[in-house]
This record gives sequence, C-alpha cells and structure tokens, in this order.
Amino acid sequence: MKRLTRILGIALTAALVSVGVASAASLGLTSGKLGAGSANVSGCTSSSLTATRNVDNSGNVTQVNVLSVPQACAGQILDVTLENSSHTSLGAANVVVGTCTGGCTVSVTGFGTVSATNLTAYAFSLTQ
Amino acid sequence: MPSLRRTLPRLAVAIVVATGASVGVGYAASLGLGSNQLHAWSQTLTKGTCNQTSATADDTYVQQASPTSTAGGTDTNLTIGGAAGSQNYAFIRFDLSGCALPTTAGADSAALTLTVTTKSNDTISIFPVYSSWNSSTLNWNGLGGLTIGGTATTTFVPSNPGTVTVPVTADVDAAIKASTLWGWELRDTSGTATSAVGSAENNAAGKRPSMTLSYEK
Repeated sequence: MKRLTRILGIALTAALVSVGVASAASLGLTSGKLGAGSANVSGCTSSSLTATRNVDNSGNVTQVNVLSVPQACAGQILDVTLENSSHTSLGAANVVVGTCTGGCTVSVTGFGTVSATNLTAYAFSLTQ
Repeated sequence: MPSLRRTLPRLAVAIVVATGASVGVGYAASLGLGSNQLHAWSQTLTKGTCNQTSATADDTYVQQASPTSTAGGTDTNLTIGGAAGSQNYAFIRFDLSGCALPTTAGADSAALTLTVTTKSNDTISIFPVYSSWNSSTLNWNGLGGLTIGGTATTTFVPSNPGTVTVPVTADVDAAIKASTLWGWELRDTSGTATSAVGSAENNAAGKRPSMTLSYEK
C-alpha cells in the first residue's frame, strides 16, 4: 500500500510540474515573440510589404498606404502601428483588405494625431 | 488487491498524459497559431534633411497689365496684388532633384521662408501649382495653361518688412510622391494693395526665398 501511495504521489507531482512548464511557455510566447519578426504562417503573403504615409500641413500623419498587398490577402485584417525610435506605439489602426486586381494599395486611417517627425517605424500584421 | 496494484500505476500514467494534453490544447489556442493566418513584419524609416536655397529656386511674377511680359523672371522682387485690372501673381518653386528622394518618401515638415520687401495689410494666399512652368516663359496669358489648386495651402499678411515663414508640408509631401514640385502661386486675396517679397535674383542673399525640408524615406 505504501508503494501505491508513493506511485500516486509521484504521478500527481509530475502532472503539476508539466502544467507549470506549459503555462510559463505560453506566457513567454504571448508577451514578445509574435510581433518581433516575420512570423509568416499565412498563405496570403510571405513578403515584408512597404508603406508610405500622407501628412497634413501641420506634419501629422493622415493616412498610411501599404503597397502591393497581394489579392490573396483580401478579407484579412491589416493592422498598422506607428512607432517612435523606441518602438513605442504612437497610434494604431486597422482595416479589412478589400478586393482589387493584382497588388492592392491598402489605405489605413484613424491614427489620431501623430507627428510624422516622431514616426520612425511601422509595424504591420495580417490576420483573419 | 493485486488487481488494484496493477491498475493504479496505469491510472497514474493516464493522469500525467491527460493533464499534459489538456494543457497543450489550451496553449495553442491562446496563441491563435491553430488558425494558420498570421503574418507580421516591420519597416524602419530613414530620416534626413534637404534644405533649399535660391540656388535651386525659380521664381517670377506675372502682370495682368502686361499680359505678355516675362520681366518678372529677372526682377529682384516678386510683386503681388494691385488694383482690379492690374493684378500681379507671384510664382516660386524649388528643384528637389538633388535630394534624390524616391516617390515612396515623404516630407515630415517643410517651411517656406520669404522676405517681405514691400509691406501691406492684405492677405497673401499660397496655392499649390500642379503643372510645369519656368520663369523665362511664364506670363499672364499663360496662366490658363496651369493647373493650380483651388484651396490655399496657407496664408500670411506681409504687414512688416522682414522674413515670414509658412508651413508647406502637405504640398511638398505630395510633390515628393509625384516626383515633381512645381511650387506655389502667391495671390492677394483680400484687397488691392501691392506688396513684394525678395526674389531669387535679389542682391541680398538673405532676402531670397528658401525652404527647409525634413523627410523620411
């Protein structure tokens, strides 16, 4: 009986340890790895697309235009984040990619008041 | 009892496997990787400046009273305004080709600096010009061939002699993307007074038009 109790104790300990490890891994991936690089899992595009932006006469960003988005991405959600030199978000907005012929220029608006002078990087993602 | 001794170890293994499996499912779902629809990337911008002086400027003014005259192209001041029937419109542009900016670049800020040489209390409106011109040929009769924006980019009142600086960021940003900058028309939009600003031919270098430009590409 003592042996059985020991076996059960070992089994429960192992189970709890495995739960702890899995939870830690989950937290790590969620907190930093997804947006860090080019984590392409989608079949819509594997390219790092480029963008331009328009400004008003005060130099604030009015619109971001993501160039040559493949037609295959139609229906996906394009998220755009405007970042400063510390990669801190200055504003973010998204839009559903529409249908078009060939590569689409997708325009995104609604970033709030963001000075183009402070904008040093874009971060993009496509999800469905 | 022997039967129980055989069963309990198997039960323990089952607990471990089942617990691990259930945690694994929750982990994948929390990442959303199971949906197979994620693509993330980034783009870093390069910043720079490309300030403009009279060396890259072209300017003139056209005269309603002398509709074929191109004399404004060599005058040392750009005359603006005047009474009905004898209006003068000034034109200023810069050649940005030396900046070597691609059409995917843009202006972060751009400001036009002028020097008032003849003051007035009228409002001078600055309109973007979208078609080509040059100071050696443009005259009043040629205005009909130009495409000029219907909305003023900005205004100023030349009430004091000296420099005045006005923002032209949106126009320059658009011009970079179009790979051209055909500049601005300066028109008196409030009265009949005559004012003037120094031209690129002004004897005093400090009175000539200039433009600061900060860009990203």
